[in-house]
Amino acid sequence: MLTRTKDEEKTLKVVGTRPVRPDGEPKVTGLAQYGADFSLPGMLWAKILRSPHAHARIRAIDASRALALPGVKAVITGADFMEQPFEYVGPERVAVNYWHMTRNIMAREKALYEGHAVAAVAAVSPAVAAAALKLIDVDYEVLPHVIDVDAAMAPDAPLLFEDMITRGVEPAPTRPSNVSKQIDFRLGDADAAFAAADEVVEMSFKTAPVHQGYIEPHACLARIGADGQGELWSASQGHFVVRAYTAKLLGMEIGNLLVHPAEIGGGFGGKTVIYVEPVAAMLSRKTGHPVKIMMSREDVFRATGPTSGASMTVRIGVKKDGRIVAARGVFRFQAGAFPGSPVMNACMCAFAPYDIANVHTTGYDVVCNRPKAAAYRAPGSPISAFAVESVLDVLAGKIGMDPLALRLKNAARTGTQTAYGPKHAHDGYAETVEALMKHPAYKLPLGRNQGRGVASGYWFNGGGESAATVHINEDGSVVIATGSMDIGGSRASMAMMAAETLGVPYEKVRSTVADTGSVGYNHVTGGSRVTYATGIAVVDACRKIIDDLRGRAAQIWDVNPSGVVWEEGHARPASAEVGDFAPLSLKAIAAKRAVTGGPIVAEAAVNAGGMAPGFATQFCDVEVDPETGAVKILRFVAAQDVGRAIHPSYVEGQIQGAVAQGIGWALNEEYIYDKNGRLSNAGFLDYRIPVASDLPSFDVVMVAVPNPNHPFGVKGVGEVGIVPPMAAIANAIQQATGTRMTELPMSPPRLLAALDSAEGA
Amino acid sequence: MPPAQPARVVLTTGFSQRHTGGVKEFSVEPGTLRGVIKAMDARFPGLGDILEEETTVAIDGEIHEVVYSQPIRPGCEVFFLPKIESG
Repeated sequence: MLTRTKDEEKTLKVVGTRPVRPDGEPKVTGLAQYGADFSLPGMLWAKILRSPHAHARIRAIDASRALALPGVKAVITGADFMEQPFEYVGPERVAVNYWHMTRNIMAREKALYEGHAVAAVAAVSPAVAAAALKLIDVDYEVLPHVIDVDAAMAPDAPLLFEDMITRGVEPAPTRPSNVSKQIDFRLGDADAAFAAADEVVEMSFKTAPVHQGYIEPHACLARIGADGQGELWSASQGHFVVRAYTAKLLGMEIGNLLVHPAEIGGGFGGKTVIYVEPVAAMLSRKTGHPVKIMMSREDVFRATGPTSGASMTVRIGVKKDGRIVAARGVFRFQAGAFPGSPVMNACMCAFAPYDIANVHTTGYDVVCNRPKAAAYRAPGSPISAFAVESVLDVLAGKIGMDPLALRLKNAARTGTQTAYGPKHAHDGYAETVEALMKHPAYKLPLGRNQGRGVASGYWFNGGGESAATVHINEDGSVVIATGSMDIGGSRASMAMMAAETLGVPYEKVRSTVADTGSVGYNHVTGGSRVTYATGIAVVDACRKIIDDLRGRAAQIWDVNPSGVVWEEGHARPASAEVGDFAPLSLKAIAAKRAVTGGPIVAEAAVNAGGMAPGFATQFCDVEVDPETGAVKILRFVAAQDVGRAIHPSYVEGQIQGAVAQGIGWALNEEYIYDKNGRLSNAGFLDYRIPVASDLPSFDVVMVAVPNPNHPFGVKGVGEVGIVPPMAAIANAIQQATGTRMTELPMSPPRLLAALDSAEGA
Repeated sequence: MPPAQPARVVLTTGFSQRHTGGVKEFSVEPGTLRGVIKAMDARFPGLGDILEEETTVAIDGEIHEVVYSQPIRPGCEVFFLPKIESG
């Protein structure tokens, strides 16, 4: 059964506490092993040659000079990888096209962005590999390029694919374009409903593509044997997905590739896809040696997927009393060099916090000469929220209504129809708004050049496939193994849920992340799904263990298992009629493991449903320096419906991290290209993510509306916190300066220009 | 004993245009999600595989992965929607 009800009466002893995470000490002392930390005897080093051009036809590649260099063992190009059929596989929103994927791993006919891999070398040292790259001769025909999404949609734009016909349009267009896909969601009749509005505001917005900014560059070690079997050590958000993609691109059976999960130094969605793994594996297959690849920071910026930049137009109509009567959104998203932006999510999430009878959203997925977009924390939702929540702020001002009151009046609740289809099945949004309305800082007076801004956000949260194994050792200690990469403290939360279920101390449970050969399939650590879905698998496995332990206690007591209950970590007689037996601890039963049947182990696998969405509402206070355009965040208050926090510190950490990334997105982060389409700021010195001194102390308000479908009431918490900050900050800047910013980032030069323009108008 | 109230299957506009000639709503016998998928496949051969592979399902708004054993209550809404991307 997928639907469960938590026991409201149960007093929780472990869940809700704040124990030390088991992976903490190895990480802070440097013992933890990340993707770059693995080595094998006979290992070769690989380097990747990348296109210097944003768009170029590859006429020929001559590697003969590189191969002649002593120490070079192999050179590969796109031609070394098997061709893949051109087809979109899987669900529309997450469809994979392996024809595209293999070309993103290594270019074939064309280089489609600066940094696109065109060849790779394996050599005895990094220095030899780097020297060999300079000896590979690539004959390019440089082509016109296009980066901006509006420019890419123009009729005369350079085409990345001369045969790309827009999907989702009936009848299909007859001419190719850079628009890969068009999508539409409608509820009611928005066009007609605008006529009933007292106030209508329509505005256009642009957002810059931003990188996830994970600290650890991509790295892996691959070993493919002559027998066709291989192993891979890689840092990712899902080693089962790494296995599937790599095996597909190399034509291997999935079972012949064993993937070991390295520790991960941040992902935020950007490590749900592969870049270096198939390259290392192909070089290993070709040389017979283990091969290691480490990206540089510059490689990460030039060749891995940021989230989309976007161009958007949003129109909302309200009655004087604040009721929203109609909403329209058009969202144009950069997909990068291959189709697949998160524009569908943007369309679905844009108005999801609100009860609006008439909504129409349209999305365009547009290719351009940048790295292919990858997922980034609540993919798509923060972008559309920037536009929607900005327009709502303007409307609140026009009708003289408090912006939180406007949101509360229109809050989606259980039973509210969404524009993308089903009705909401969970509350939680209104509670986040109410939490901020009651917050003591919301009414505090502001000073000169200061402003306060409000915004909300929505994210679906995920469930899906997870598996867990629980093993009771002979000394009564517990080992749990899952295949979910630990990004935000999930080892600890899994151990806590296991300890709570089994009735043993947290310290008795060791939580591990197992390789692809040692535990059942786990989908990626993403979509805010792991504490929910993998947590259900862990609890299910623990419940199986309890049934097993009851049976073993029954053997020891010579009674029927139905006469044994499990309470507070002990087997006890269910009643006096069963007999007068002293409780048996888990340790005592484990000591009789052999004579009661052998290893005490249980597995559970789920395809978890019943997940509840995430809602967040935030306000921030800013101060704008009118001389420089610099924005200082004075206060940031983030309310989020967390269901029930298993480990409150890690939930707070997720929310704080999401807000910090949102502040960077709002104020500083952007890719700067020169006229040739080459990235000018491929490093953290010039691509400015927030540092501690940029940020205030966040005030996190955890609103608890437990999800009855999870044993402990969990809702995903990792993503929705990044949805509101950009609009909240824009709204605060507007209040501080009277100037409405409609383009991200709201960096000092851009804000200063807007202030100067407003002054001169 | 009166027959059970049917469940209401709903598809998105785009999905219905691609696969059911634009028809968005259907009545099916309640029971399990497997039964719903079989009923839809009987009306539109091949649609069953597409529903299994490409969609998530909202049952009276509660979102689930497509799992055969999922109970479908009489009178409930079964909304097939695109799967969700992870971040």
